[in-house]
Amino acid sequence: MVKREEIVHAANLIKIDLKDHEKYIEQVEKILNYFDILDNASAESESFVTQEMSLDKLRDDKYVPFDEKLITQLKNYKGTFVKAPKMI
Amino acid sequence: MNLGITATQYLEQIKNGSLTVEEFISKTMERINKVEPSIHAYISLNNDAISQAKQIDKKLKAKENVGSCLGMPISIKDNICTKGMKTTCASKMLENFVAPYDATVISNLKSQDAIIIGKTNLDEFAMGISTEFSYFGPSRNPWNTDYVPGGSSGGSAVSVSALECIASLGSDTGGSVRNPASFCSVVGLKPTYGLVSRYGLISYANSIEQVGPMARTVEDTAFILNIISGIDQHDNTTIDKGKVDYTKELDVGVEGKRIGIISEMIGEGVDKQVAAATSKAISKLQTLGAECNEVSLDSVKFSVATYYTIAATEAGSNLARYDNIRYGFDFDVEGYEFNAYISKARKNFGPEVTRRMILGSFVPSAGYVGKYFLKALKVRSKIKSEIEQAFKKFDLLIAPTSPVLPFKIGEKVDDPLSLYLLDINTIVANLSGIPAISIPYEMTNGLPIGIQFFANSMQEKTLLQAAYALEKTTNLPGVPI
Amino acid sequence: MTKIGLEIHCQLTKLESKLFCSCKADYRSLDINTNICPVCIGLPGSLPLLNKNAVEKAAMISIALGCKTPPKIAFFRKNYFYPDLPKNFQITQYNAYGPTSIGSDGKVLIEDKEIRVRRIQLEEDPGRLVYEGTSEKTLLTLIDYNRAGTPLVEIVTEPDFETPKQVRLFLNVLADLVENLGVSDPSLEGALRVDGNISIDKGNRVEIKNVGSFKDIEKALHFEITRQQSLAERGIPIPAETRHWDEARKITVSARSKEEEQDYRYFLEADIPWVLIDSSVIDKLKKNMPESIYSKKERYIKKYGIPLQVAEVLSSDKFYSDLFEQAHNEKNAKEIANIITTDLKGFADTKEQREQLKLTPKHLADLADAIMNNIITRNSGKLALQEIVKSGKPLSEIISSLDLGHVDDKSSLSKIIDDVFSEEEKAVSEAKLNPDTINYLVGKVMRKTKGKADPALTLDIIKKKLDSK
Repeated sequence: MVKREEIVHAANLIKIDLKDHEKYIEQVEKILNYFDILDNASAESESFVTQEMSLDKLRDDKYVPFDEKLITQLKNYKGTFVKAPKMI
Repeated sequence: MNLGITATQYLEQIKNGSLTVEEFISKTMERINKVEPSIHAYISLNNDAISQAKQIDKKLKAKENVGSCLGMPISIKDNICTKGMKTTCASKMLENFVAPYDATVISNLKSQDAIIIGKTNLDEFAMGISTEFSYFGPSRNPWNTDYVPGGSSGGSAVSVSALECIASLGSDTGGSVRNPASFCSVVGLKPTYGLVSRYGLISYANSIEQVGPMARTVEDTAFILNIISGIDQHDNTTIDKGKVDYTKELDVGVEGKRIGIISEMIGEGVDKQVAAATSKAISKLQTLGAECNEVSLDSVKFSVATYYTIAATEAGSNLARYDNIRYGFDFDVEGYEFNAYISKARKNFGPEVTRRMILGSFVPSAGYVGKYFLKALKVRSKIKSEIEQAFKKFDLLIAPTSPVLPFKIGEKVDDPLSLYLLDINTIVANLSGIPAISIPYEMTNGLPIGIQFFANSMQEKTLLQAAYALEKTTNLPGVPI
Repeated sequence: MTKIGLEIHCQLTKLESKLFCSCKADYRSLDINTNICPVCIGLPGSLPLLNKNAVEKAAMISIALGCKTPPKIAFFRKNYFYPDLPKNFQITQYNAYGPTSIGSDGKVLIEDKEIRVRRIQLEEDPGRLVYEGTSEKTLLTLIDYNRAGTPLVEIVTEPDFETPKQVRLFLNVLADLVENLGVSDPSLEGALRVDGNISIDKGNRVEIKNVGSFKDIEKALHFEITRQQSLAERGIPIPAETRHWDEARKITVSARSKEEEQDYRYFLEADIPWVLIDSSVIDKLKKNMPESIYSKKERYIKKYGIPLQVAEVLSSDKFYSDLFEQAHNEKNAKEIANIITTDLKGFADTKEQREQLKLTPKHLADLADAIMNNIITRNSGKLALQEIVKSGKPLSEIISSLDLGHVDDKSSLSKIIDDVFSEEEKAVSEAKLNPDTINYLVGKVMRKTKGKADPALTLDIIKKKLDSK
């Protein structure tokens, strides 16, 4: 059984504040309980689905400028710096 | 003027001069202004559409080269980036976001002189099956506006169905093109993973999703697929399609085709009317000479849990960038500490996105990664093997697109798990990467039912041919709105 | 016993473009936030496009450090929120599904001590942060994304170092190696950065982060050893924690415990397919790679009989080994190695000195030949070298202008020794009693001849003269 604190912790990791949002904890709990159906799937011998490409298909190392003024299309800047909240 | 013409008819009429681009675009805009209040397909409209139409008319008149779309109005799901127009993902977090570049599919359409008529509504960040989770309010089903249009590409399906454009681009992560296509009685295709560039498609679950065309006929769908598919230097996951024209040889029929009926998708949990329509479609295909037999895909029963585990994990990571610092809504950073600020900003995600992000953080977290995330990856691989096995015996697979008919707005909005379970018939295509198409098949009490075909990887042509054959057997009414 | 492990971040400064987009890899000295595009600032809808050359250069480092390169490499997302990370995840490599990072299981010999390399991974560098306000009370964080997405190779070692000195030697070798390979310029600020972990006497492992320079890691490690020892002596358990290096105060400070609760939830980056690195790719890289420091060192020792320590200095510094390679032949190799590692070192240690150096490989060859053919003494050679590095004049000219010709005829040398004997009567009588002080007289002769006298011959004559007195 999943503990409520563990759900709150997971939400914190992803910067979701669950204060006043108790209903999300219950809904997520219910969904996780449903996911337990995966315990019945036998797939131990399976590998993972991946794509592959050869090295020579990768991008050539070439400098191509995008647009010097791109920064002006962002919000929240100070001078030419992007402005973010303080760190403690 | 008939706004309900197909792409093929539109091109003919423009070419023979019986129609100008400006006339058609103006009429389309009038239609949009008239019906939008009752269906809400669009989030934003292209204010330059008419002047763009005039430009194309001018070029046509001067016999200059004009791209193959000849000014055809196409709507775009609002999670696909369009330079200079807002791309909101139906989220407050991007309500002011204007992309500084075009998605590759948009560049492709523009280079063929399509007119991007507007950006369509969706469930926030494409997470949902009803378009009710849009920050800008729900879209409504044009066949009955009390009902949902399906989702998440609900606005795209509505715009095509309600004659507000000729075709649309949606995106399909777990059925988001096919489900609303089915609910709104239009055609919707989810291409093979890698056939269409995702550059400029705002990621939700990037290992499984594709941009897909939606239109009123199979032929129109093939026409759009021709334009948007192929290898893209901006997307390393795209694959070479070779020389192929999806609009050619559409009418070869299904004679001798081996079609597998997926047992797990027609039995328990499937609405009676949907099951009956599916049986009818299968009999029709048999009359046309197809061999239809049931096939069991044992792991389908795990597919919903597998899909939501993988999609939520990727979503949690893909949506982490929305911290409201570089782009977002007005909310000053000064005075806040970093974590406090972004937690407060991220409270503005809607309920479905919030749920999936919590799930997406939980299932790959230390202590649970083996039980959920890694297990889901392995089950995904198993599903893929089962599908590959099935295609050794069959050319195509068939199932209803949705196990249920469209439901009423508000009916299921507070029961996320019951909504998730409705994805069961569509998500196997995403988990295994194969193409699938939904075509309108029947009307039951004024609500549409769609039938879905699956084909093996890169077999879009076979898929479109079967869909075309079945489409020819239908005779569906015009949209009531 | 002290166990130290390192995590070194090496920027691939020799690339044209960033790791996943076509912005400039060289972000230094550009106007703030001008070297950015939708990919490196993580705009919605953008996709990473892996730089082929970055993979090749990372593979070269991996080969040079004796690592195995897997047949396919994969990229992972490391998920955490930080203002310098535009996507709030970092694209990196991780060996969750078997070895899929560009290198693993390597080893490097440092003074006969084997240092195992656990993993080498290719990843993106974050942006640069500037804090507004004071260090106690920041008001704002300002971000410059010019660096965001530039290619970085992380090298993780096993905790095989026993002393901070071994760490320094290893880092020097590494700096020389990446320069030698032409993948990075270690002299650029931030091009090589290092974090460490350290435990003493089976105590808990302490991570040290935020170390700015190579010099400081040695200081930080010394500080930690002392700190941990003094805790241990007082019976206080050493907590497993992350500590930050405080550059101003030259101490380590416990980081907030929050950092240790991180759970990065690594998973595969599906936007980048697995890249096939077949053996032909590796063979081609090996063929085009400059000789490794290790193999150079072995060659110097085996082929020319150059002593280990000389070979180590020579092979690990690309500037010196390039000079050596161009100057030597089979006969004079040992002498040239000697001149470079003992005499030249004082004149060519810093970047500025090297840039102003007028010395050519021919100078070195001429000098070695002159010494070996007894035209000048080693001492005179030193003087000649001093002049060469300044003026760049040919050796023959310098020998005549400075009058450095060898004094090796007995009669003139005998005369000079007589002069010294008469000036140094006291020393002469002392030398008769105590032969250990003879060297004083030899030195006097050397000074009088400006180092031109043959030392062996001088000693021989002095001894004879003392005996006959």
